[in-house]
Amino acid sequence: MADILNIQGLSKRYGSVQALDQLSISVPQGSIYGLLGPNGSGKTTTLGIVLDVLNATGGSFQWFGQPLSKSTKRRIGALLETPNFYPYLTGEENLRITADVKRIDHSRIPAVLETVGLAGRKHSKFKGYSLGMKQRLAIAAALLGDPEVLVLDEPTNGLDPEGIAEVRQLILDISAQGKTIILASHLLDEVEKVCTHMAVLRSGKLKVQGPVSSIMATNDLVFINGGAPLEQLLQVARTLPFVSDARAVHQQIQLTLHPNTDGSAVNRAFFAQGIALGQLVVRKKSLESQFMEIIKADQV
Amino acid sequence: MTSLFRIELRKLLTYSTFWILLALQCSLLFIFFYARGHVQVNGQMAGATLYQFPKLWMHLTYVSSFLNLIPAILIIILVTDEYTFRTLRQQVIDGFSRANLVQGKYAVVLLVAVLLSLYLLLLGLGFGLYFSPSSGGGSMFTEAQSILYYLVQLVGYMSMAMLVAFLLRKTGLAILAFMAYSLIIERLIQWQMPDSIDKYFPMKAMGALVQNPHKELEQMVLGASDFLTPLQATVPVVLYVSLFCFLSYQILRMRDL
Repeated sequence: MADILNIQGLSKRYGSVQALDQLSISVPQGSIYGLLGPNGSGKTTTLGIVLDVLNATGGSFQWFGQPLSKSTKRRIGALLETPNFYPYLTGEENLRITADVKRIDHSRIPAVLETVGLAGRKHSKFKGYSLGMKQRLAIAAALLGDPEVLVLDEPTNGLDPEGIAEVRQLILDISAQGKTIILASHLLDEVEKVCTHMAVLRSGKLKVQGPVSSIMATNDLVFINGGAPLEQLLQVARTLPFVSDARAVHQQIQLTLHPNTDGSAVNRAFFAQGIALGQLVVRKKSLESQFMEIIKADQV
Repeated sequence: MTSLFRIELRKLLTYSTFWILLALQCSLLFIFFYARGHVQVNGQMAGATLYQFPKLWMHLTYVSSFLNLIPAILIIILVTDEYTFRTLRQQVIDGFSRANLVQGKYAVVLLVAVLLSLYLLLLGLGFGLYFSPSSGGGSMFTEAQSILYYLVQLVGYMSMAMLVAFLLRKTGLAILAFMAYSLIIERLIQWQMPDSIDKYFPMKAMGALVQNPHKELEQMVLGASDFLTPLQATVPVVLYVSLFCFLSYQILRMRDL
């Protein structure tokens, strides 16, 4: 399928700080694409550049295979960093301005207010809204043009648990209509729960990108012992082609396997060497430890 | 342009700051012109001559031009607000170009200038008819073109205020910088320059659009000074306005929002 957004070698410098370093990612159509990284890793900078509010120091990007223009902007609904509205206007009046800027009819305003649960407060001034309501209004504004792509930067910021669950459901519902969603978040759990694809950023550098299932499923750990002395197990393990790392840890041998291999392959290989393993434990890495590992790689 | 104007109106119509500053400006214009006519000169009210058509228009616009700081501050607030609320950023995300942002604010500049000029026209007619009802008809609108020059002057002042606001982004800082330049800095530079050059400076050229009714008296006391006539001053002022708009656009284009 065609790529909705293609980024090639994007860089951004703020004085001496390299906020973004040669970032290249592509967002497939229909995906929920998570941009994951700790605070200050360059997520908002990336989105700011592709949304035309920040000037890149280098690199290029295309939306729908075209350079950014007024017509491509109209196919994108975006919420960047904070909800940006006029505090002295009501929620509805603010959305009228958004609709005028996007050159779309006002008829969808009641519907989007209903979607985000603000219909009852549409006549209240924006400055009187709670943080969660402001965030909802920003999501409503992003939905206003019925865009093909939704760009959401930390959309659950400031929401209570119920609101977070609602927004996640909303994202899944919109995605079910065949739309593409780009979601920046520092919450691994959020990305894991809703995204189909992800890119992990750290200090402005791309660490890994691809379908969530393949990134999260790789590198299971296998612990073995028994059947032979530890040294022998270690020696054998190091000869196996599908083992990327083997080491002795707490009277056990810890193996890191290549993707798409599992515990039974280990068992079969040792048995072929005449060793019947006493114990074989496969441990899925916790999401947090995988995430920490990804962002800590090359950080020496 | 009409859709940009409509968007700007949506922002202004319920904004109390806009109405308060506009009302303040209108009342001060009235008070200034009223007070000036009620000064006793040689036991006679100055208004007797001040409020006579057609001289009235020159006096009215001259007095009013001292109050141009308030509309300039209004424009600075409206522009820097957009930075504070981060709405410039959102409008660019939603589909505006950088040029649209400047065009929108320029539309507000024109709107305020037209509103104040119309108000001044009504004010002039009111004072003139009330204080010298006998003079009517023909002479009433002679020299009323002063109002047009006043309009150009307002557009010039406010365009400059817009540029300073886009440049500095902070309300207080922008107001201070605008006042410092318009009231002090340019005068210091003018002081070092021959009249033949400094008459083209922005503040002086804009000032020349509105004639000083006491010019002869002033020149007698301070010595002859080279001034542009209002018609001549229109050319540099229009050029300045274009320059201010262009620079505002360049600032937005080069900087991150």
